Amino acid sequence: MKENSLWKDAFRRLTMDKWALGSLIIVLIYSSVALLAAMGIIAGDWAKEVGASNMAPNGDHWLGTDIFGRDVLSKVLRGTQIAMSVGLVTSLIAIPIGVVLGALAGYFGGWVDDLITWLYTTFSSIPNIMLLISITMILGKGIFAVYIALGATSWVTLCRLIRGEVMKHKEREYVQAAGAIGGGHFRKLFLHILPNVTHIVIINTSLQFQFAIKSEVILSYLGLGVQGEPSWGTMIDDAKLELSRGVWWQLAGATTAMFLVVLAFNLLGDALRDSLDPKLKGK
Amino acid sequence: MKSLVFVLSCLMLSFACSKEKTFDEREINLISPEKISGFDPINASDRYSGNETGKVYEGLFEFHPLKRPYELMPNLAESLPVVSSDGLTYIFKIRKGVLFHDSPAFKDGVGREMKASDIIYSIKRLADPKLNAKGWWLLDDRLVGLNEWRTKNSTTENTNYEEEIEGLKKIDEYTLQMRLKKPYPQFLYALAMPYTFIVAREAVEHFGKEFLNYPVGTGAFVLPKFEQSSMITYLRNTKFRDKFYPSEGEEGDDKLGLLADAGKKIPLIDKITVHVVVESQPKWLSFMKAKDDLLEVKDVNIQQTINSKKELKDEHKEKGIRLIMKPMLDVTYFAFNHEEPIFKNRKLRQAMNLAFDRATYNRLFHENTAFDAHGPVPPGLGGQTKEFKNPYIKYDLDQAKKLLAEAGYPGGKGLPTIVVQTRSDTISRQQIEFFEKCMEKIGINIDAGTNTWPELVNKVTKKQHQMYTMAWGADYPDAENFLGLLYCPNQAPGSNGANYCNPDFDAIYKQATIMQDSPERTTLYEKLNEMVALDAPWIFGFHRTDIYLAQAWLKNFKHMEFNHSQFQYLNVDLEVKKQLSKKF
Repeated sequence: MKENSLWKDAFRRLTMDKWALGSLIIVLIYSSVALLAAMGIIAGDWAKEVGASNMAPNGDHWLGTDIFGRDVLSKVLRGTQIAMSVGLVTSLIAIPIGVVLGALAGYFGGWVDDLITWLYTTFSSIPNIMLLISITMILGKGIFAVYIALGATSWVTLCRLIRGEVMKHKEREYVQAAGAIGGGHFRKLFLHILPNVTHIVIINTSLQFQFAIKSEVILSYLGLGVQGEPSWGTMIDDAKLELSRGVWWQLAGATTAMFLVVLAFNLLGDALRDSLDPKLKGK
Repeated sequence: MKSLVFVLSCLMLSFACSKEKTFDEREINLISPEKISGFDPINASDRYSGNETGKVYEGLFEFHPLKRPYELMPNLAESLPVVSSDGLTYIFKIRKGVLFHDSPAFKDGVGREMKASDIIYSIKRLADPKLNAKGWWLLDDRLVGLNEWRTKNSTTENTNYEEEIEGLKKIDEYTLQMRLKKPYPQFLYALAMPYTFIVAREAVEHFGKEFLNYPVGTGAFVLPKFEQSSMITYLRNTKFRDKFYPSEGEEGDDKLGLLADAGKKIPLIDKITVHVVVESQPKWLSFMKAKDDLLEVKDVNIQQTINSKKELKDEHKEKGIRLIMKPMLDVTYFAFNHEEPIFKNRKLRQAMNLAFDRATYNRLFHENTAFDAHGPVPPGLGGQTKEFKNPYIKYDLDQAKKLLAEAGYPGGKGLPTIVVQTRSDTISRQQIEFFEKCMEKIGINIDAGTNTWPELVNKVTKKQHQMYTMAWGADYPDAENFLGLLYCPNQAPGSNGANYCNPDFDAIYKQATIMQDSPERTTLYEKLNEMVALDAPWIFGFHRTDIYLAQAWLKNFKHMEFNHSQFQYLNVDLEVKKQLSKKF
């Protein structure tokens, strides 16, 4: 029987899972919406007044208008761009930190391990949201601060996982063999071990994304997130005052958008683990 | 195990009690929309701390609960003071038989009589440099020798309260003489404010740092201990002196039933429970379930309260709920920092005033219940006239663009992005967003700086802002309180956070503020108000309307701007409450 490569096999198993496929499609849709919004092709005129204030959903404005008569749907789409960009940028910050620190700690052990373990246990002992709030307070408010705050706080889980995995791998025969033919630490770690733990990074990215999106919403809700741009968090904050007047569409739009993408990333994360983890192969 | 049984039985008992609603307790339930910072009068700087402090403590004077325009009446003072012809020396007669609340601070735990020395002590305490009281501005540079005493004690280890001050003299136990440095026509108003409420030295010394949690006053209600929780319960002061409900008021008060209790000894109720509820929706729901007797209706709930004719909605009328709507003595504004070179340009300031769409703002955020501010002084105070119309507060984009070009910034070119500091709550964020949109129309870019309340105050105090938003409510019914917001010597950290300086204005202000209330003074106030309005030191906002809902059974509530002394007069009609409670 012909064996597929790990990646091909994983992809095959992923596409067989209907939920995973659905999630992947949702994530792709959100990504394209974010991309189109970033290029200004859709929702570029979200700030424009298109009708009376707090108009209920209708044929022209599917999600109605907000207090200033702006189209809520455009705000949701623009919010998607913010949310996805936060997910992406924080992943780009957190993953290298987590991978490098985790790999160093796992591979070298000793005082390097002690130091890095101390660092991440200290980080994870601080309540996450408190840490986020204090970082945004220091950096000032705005999307840049959100990127940094989330990036700097969310590498811990990945670091811990990579450390454990690298520890396991460094005793394996293929690593010893690499050592025996003269491979140095760098070669063994980055060319031999890391490719074998990439699946953890991929699974983690999916979870990292939804964590970042949720945190951005919370920060914006608290008034510490993006300023002057629509965010799902500020829309929910607006809704706090509007609900008593029966204006539910901002809340509905923002929460549905958030619910779908967070759920999709979660399901996708699960499915990725199932399909990429060799131990679960064939189950 | 025993204790568990006890806890369980307590729980069951409390459930049983809450099920059966009884109507025999003469209690009223009120709401405080902000947390209370404590019960130390010298720091009761915000309205809500003042309201709570005023239930326990009292001052020499208080505002008449019914008469309008506002009238001072003696409270702990026996009568209005005798003032010397130069307006500088005041002789106060102190009421006899006023007792402090019982407290472990006193010998045997029994409250003693309040005397002239307590007043001297309380005023010195306001000036004590070590306490850094928020209310010090009220008497700063007013009484002979008080500032010197303050300066002298700022370097010593302990403040010397024994030292006599020339401006604060005890003549006998019930007579007091105060001497002012210069005429201060608002002096008696100052003695009716929470800052100058009378405290007992024993209590201050006994409780030390905890004093703010153990109020020991002379007022109609007692609160043995204040705990920072969501509920404050005051009980009737059983040893309260003979104080009676007033028998005269404003015309029409009789018809409103406000004189039904005339001549009766107050307080008329046994208990006041204050619920601290910050969020607007829970407040509204709690009132609508008749758990509270009075509700101050704010922004978001206005639409649920009144219809388009500004009348109470029928659904509330059916339950007997009353609507009380009165213009407030306040002004809201966007202040420029006049130390920023760009804002020295009057035409720029005027252009920004013209570009602010007040009508839409009023509709969106005040449900059209606010009134455009033409100047700093609100209607109802001498100094504001109906005839005066500020030409720069109308919404006129063409004129605004023209002025902006004349100011040297055609189409907003050459202007940096202006950061407006504001609060971070939802409404403030929406309001600043609206402001941004208005300014965008003439090409001015605005950015919002969001702050917690203490952060905002800090930035204004340290002049670290380009612009900020603020609302100012009257401390006492005198236009001086508003015009002072633009008086140069009051610059930050004083109340002139805009750091506005106009020598012509200052000269007239200085002259007016030492004059007693008279038509001449009113003319000067009017002149000041108009002069400063045309110079556009702020972007003028609104004079807002106070909206209250009161349950049918709450008696004797009349709208009052300075309402910290009002609660002792309230009453409850239990019969009405019993009947109407079925409707809730």
